Amino acid sequence: MPLVRTENLTKVYGQGETAVVALDHVNMSVDSGELVAVMGPSGCGKSTLLHLLGGLDRPTEGSVMIDGKSLSSLSDNALSQLRRRKIGFIFQFFNLIPILDAVDNAALPLLLDGANSKQAKEKATEWLERVGLGGRLNNRPDELSAGQQQRVAIARALLTDPMLVLADEPTGNLDSRAADEIAGLLHQVAKEWGHAVLMVTHDPRIAAYADRIIFLKDGTIVNETNLAAGDRPDAAGEVEERLTASGQMQPAAGQMRPASE
Amino acid sequence: MTVRHAVLGLLAQRPRHGYELRAAFEAVAGGSENWDLKPAQVYTTLARMEKSGLVSEQAIEQDGGPEKRIYAITPDGEKELRAWFAEDALPEHHHDEFYLKLMLALISGAANPYRLIHIQRNSLYRELHAITNQRTRADAGHELAKILLLDKAAMHLEADLRWLDMTEGRLDEIRRQPLPEPETRPRGRPRKTPDDH
Repeated sequence: MPLVRTENLTKVYGQGETAVVALDHVNMSVDSGELVAVMGPSGCGKSTLLHLLGGLDRPTEGSVMIDGKSLSSLSDNALSQLRRRKIGFIFQFFNLIPILDAVDNAALPLLLDGANSKQAKEKATEWLERVGLGGRLNNRPDELSAGQQQRVAIARALLTDPMLVLADEPTGNLDSRAADEIAGLLHQVAKEWGHAVLMVTHDPRIAAYADRIIFLKDGTIVNETNLAAGDRPDAAGEVEERLTASGQMQPAAGQMRPASE
Repeated sequence: MTVRHAVLGLLAQRPRHGYELRAAFEAVAGGSENWDLKPAQVYTTLARMEKSGLVSEQAIEQDGGPEKRIYAITPDGEKELRAWFAEDALPEHHHDEFYLKLMLALISGAANPYRLIHIQRNSLYRELHAITNQRTRADAGHELAKILLLDKAAMHLEADLRWLDMTEGRLDEIRRQPLPEPETRPRGRPRKTPDDH
């Protein structure tokens, strides 16, 4: 069974006539050691999906299962503990604390969780070395390049050895070279270190690092493709089904005859 | 023709025999997985170029095995090579198979254009993924030439993907317009009508 799975995951904001369906019965999964990209136009539900998977928000309908447990069955306390210990977050703007150096920034999740300060810093140092920042341990964010700041954020996300890493546009604020390095690092996080990684991106070049791409539109999955070599080409039936579901299979207007496939 | 000029370029570096030329060509063209040149093509190219005076046989080497003819570039060959360097090298983008498929799907109604776009997008992403993997494995310390070629391929695929998204977004609009049709031009002599009498 995959590590993370959603079942008819649905989120509706507002009520009655002003209700907006941000996510509409989404079924998807991410497994350990897998890097999955989520793509789609703005407003397609990418961020909502990330928030629900991260337990930052609760679904209107359906559920998120992590490691066999439904997030809806957890109390607020248990949920926040899961968030702190089992899920790592990476953001577009890094979200580092300006007055703390790289080690203290990376050590933060353990420090907030009440761990011994010396041990937390040792572990942070270890992870910073692993993401290639061994020479920048005592630099503050404003003394680091954008790519280096994101590396600190990745070390911070991995510090508690989370099962799931969620990255929201992790390369959105980086030049293309740093973006490639960060995408390569996230690939390593999944492939070498075995975490389940889900990243939202709008950049095809970054999405191509993933094993699988999920395309969202208007809150539903309109396409899902395996990129790894040797995977079966997309089953025609599946494509058909998704096209029908997204209303793109209707007969053409005007002079067009309906597609007869 | 590219192979011909590449052979001239390699002979401008130093005289070589056919087998050596083939290996050298594949190396500069991005490896045999990128451009697999058949030995026969090297030898027919050399024979044709020798006939037109662009290369000449310099020596025959024989060290136990079969004899190897060593070729060198001639002054005419150098002139031809200089002309090639001075020429434009615009990439081919007029003949696009996917564009044709899409147009024919729209014209005939025999395939769903949205489906074609889905399938094409998935194929392009798979190709981009494969190239990204190769690029990640390449060592920037001594394989920069290979990386540049992979980057070029990746950038073209990104552009194709962007074009696909744009086309998908405008498909309904395209369908409302008249599709490309040949211009109807009268051919031959104008037909006589009864009024002309």
